[in-house]
Amino acid sequence: MAPNVSYHCPCLSDSTVPPPPHHLSSSSSFHPLHELFFCEECDAIRCNTCVSVEVSGYYCPNCLFEVPSASVRAEKNRRVLPYLCARNCFLCPCCRNTLSVVPSDPPETDDGRTLPVSAVGEPPFFLYCNYCRWDSAEVDITFEKPTGLAGTCTAQLQKFEDSAPDSLEFERLKEHFEPFLLRAGATSSLNPTTSAHSHHHVNPVTAAASSALARDIPGVAKYTPAQSTSGRRSKGARDEMPEYKARVDASSSKGAGLGGEPDVEFMRRLETVSEVASLEQRWSSSWAVSLRLSDIKPLRMPLHSRKSKRCPSCRHILIKPEQKAQSVRYKIKLVAANYIPAITVSMPAVAERRATLNGQATASAAEASLIQAGRSYPFHLALTNPLYDPVQVRLQVQRQLPAGAPRGADDEGTEKARRPPFAVTLPNTAFPIAAFAEAWEYEDDEDMLDDDEFGPERGAREKDARKNKTVGVLERRANVTIVGGEVLIGKDARGELKFNMLVSYTYRSDDPLAEDDVKATPSRRNVPEMKTFSFCTIVSLGTIVPREESRSVNVDL
Amino acid sequence: RDKFNIHSKAVVCQDVDLKGDITIGAGTIVHPKATIFAIAGPIIIGAGCIIEEAAIIVNRRKEVMRIGDENLFEIGCRVECPSVGNSNTVSTRARVHHTVRLTSHCVIGAGVLLVPTEDEVLAPYTVVYGPAAERRVWSGRGRAQEMDLRRKHAEYLRETLPKFNRLRRGDARAPHGGGEP
Repeated sequence: MAPNVSYHCPCLSDSTVPPPPHHLSSSSSFHPLHELFFCEECDAIRCNTCVSVEVSGYYCPNCLFEVPSASVRAEKNRRVLPYLCARNCFLCPCCRNTLSVVPSDPPETDDGRTLPVSAVGEPPFFLYCNYCRWDSAEVDITFEKPTGLAGTCTAQLQKFEDSAPDSLEFERLKEHFEPFLLRAGATSSLNPTTSAHSHHHVNPVTAAASSALARDIPGVAKYTPAQSTSGRRSKGARDEMPEYKARVDASSSKGAGLGGEPDVEFMRRLETVSEVASLEQRWSSSWAVSLRLSDIKPLRMPLHSRKSKRCPSCRHILIKPEQKAQSVRYKIKLVAANYIPAITVSMPAVAERRATLNGQATASAAEASLIQAGRSYPFHLALTNPLYDPVQVRLQVQRQLPAGAPRGADDEGTEKARRPPFAVTLPNTAFPIAAFAEAWEYEDDEDMLDDDEFGPERGAREKDARKNKTVGVLERRANVTIVGGEVLIGKDARGELKFNMLVSYTYRSDDPLAEDDVKATPSRRNVPEMKTFSFCTIVSLGTIVPREESRSVNVDL
Repeated sequence: RDKFNIHSKAVVCQDVDLKGDITIGAGTIVHPKATIFAIAGPIIIGAGCIIEEAAIIVNRRKEVMRIGDENLFEIGCRVECPSVGNSNTVSTRARVHHTVRLTSHCVIGAGVLLVPTEDEVLAPYTVVYGPAAERRVWSGRGRAQEMDLRRKHAEYLRETLPKFNRLRRGDARAPHGGGEP
């Protein structure tokens, strides 16, 4: 893995110490910067795990037609299928690609030559998958018009959809429950509709009346109070429901795909395995479908949802997409990259992997491209400041100490971490990063720092020893500062080279905060309040390889 | 060793990498940056084929590699079949091994890696698709429109490509064909 930096999101926990990086379980609290959000009210990082998500609308991924949430949920209107595109977007049952509506070929003349293809195309039209060349004529679905497939003009598609077993069953269920719902609404007391066999509250008057009405009179059609045709009649108790009998008994296994006799027969007569529909093609439908691949119908395209995200504590909206499905921008976009410096790490001593992958590297280059135990490597951290104000950044390496022990802020690398043993040296003074501005506004690096210089000795040190040292500020360019650090690896070190790094940065804020934070130098009280924000990161440099094996090991960090 | 027999009506761009004994039929279009290597044996390409950019057609066997008419080799594909029939489509970044023989109207889907271990002949109208190279048989519906579209595609390229690319004309002895419009 290339060296990278992940950021810690506390996810509303109270402890300030992040989990140790070499534990496998701690990887869930560390995220790359592009996955994080920042809440301005709470001044905190939020990640996808702690943020609360709500759906702001649905859209079809094919035609980008938006469906507002209200009509998605509308079930009264039978024509509006929830969570499926209502227009002509279908998925190929074979390969799940989008189907397109194509005209048929022009008829062939007697001598075998085909007539020229007209621009509009000839009916009948059918659905065609460009990828696997499946077409809907194989399941006998054709249209007379190429457009308006979802409308009432194409009776065929609506017909086959309405005759699907699940919609028929749903209709019967609705018919069955309708009278009871009406009655329950009228009497304004909702009775439990679960048990169908309880004979409570038998009102003798209505019981007599119902039985009189239900009496067999030859020549007159039997009156049944709006029940399904095979439903068992109740004794007339008005808040009792007859038992519902499904149109196709699910346990009878007579239908297709239910594992009964028709399926067994089909399996016995199978010639090739490819005649059977695979599980992926069948399990997304709510009803058991036939096992035959030739029977699978095109599916309507399911809608995708557009989500908006909120901070869990203050309910401030962090992400709000635009209303139109076509636009990729956001109305509100509070991402962490706009507030927190972006950090990238690189190890200049470790050669690029492509040299070794080409097989052209010599043995010594192959050795140099791995992180070997018992050596020290310099590394570069590039910090990019996204704010319009310059910031002062302070880096600290955090040791993996128990929660009670104090964190050493000035460790210079003589201490060894727990496992694996390595020592990290970082510049321990604060260094500035210039503000973000347009490219033409950047002047010479030194000029921009005059306002915010905190340490008088830093400028001198930087100019003198810039070429010689590896630890400290290496380069300052536009709004990026590159600092160098060094890592010294113990002789018997193995495993991943990761360490926690606490980053604190101070910037001038517009908020009238009265807090007096430690990082600001007391001598600058005439400046507006400085705010400090700190977050933890994991810097992951790669895997340590023992020195003697480096010749034979395969490069796969 | 290089012997190119390019029909006068074929459109072969200058930037094409040709090697070996290659015959290109009438109306065939070879885009720039295509590669046709007749390393061990000759390659004969029929009429009306379209070979797009970064396509690689390689013949590593001594026998003649015959490619029929009106085939489409899309961008980035790699074809080593000993014989290819008519009206096939090898989609983008597909790779077909030298053990496969394509007949006619076959479609090798995008990105498909078709490397059977033993020699096989794909029946006409076979469609290979998906990451696992599943196959099914196309009913053939729409083939007239597809061929019509391919002919129009080729005709358009024949008019437009020479306007923006230098063409290679004739045999190996005259590599710098003129840039005639």
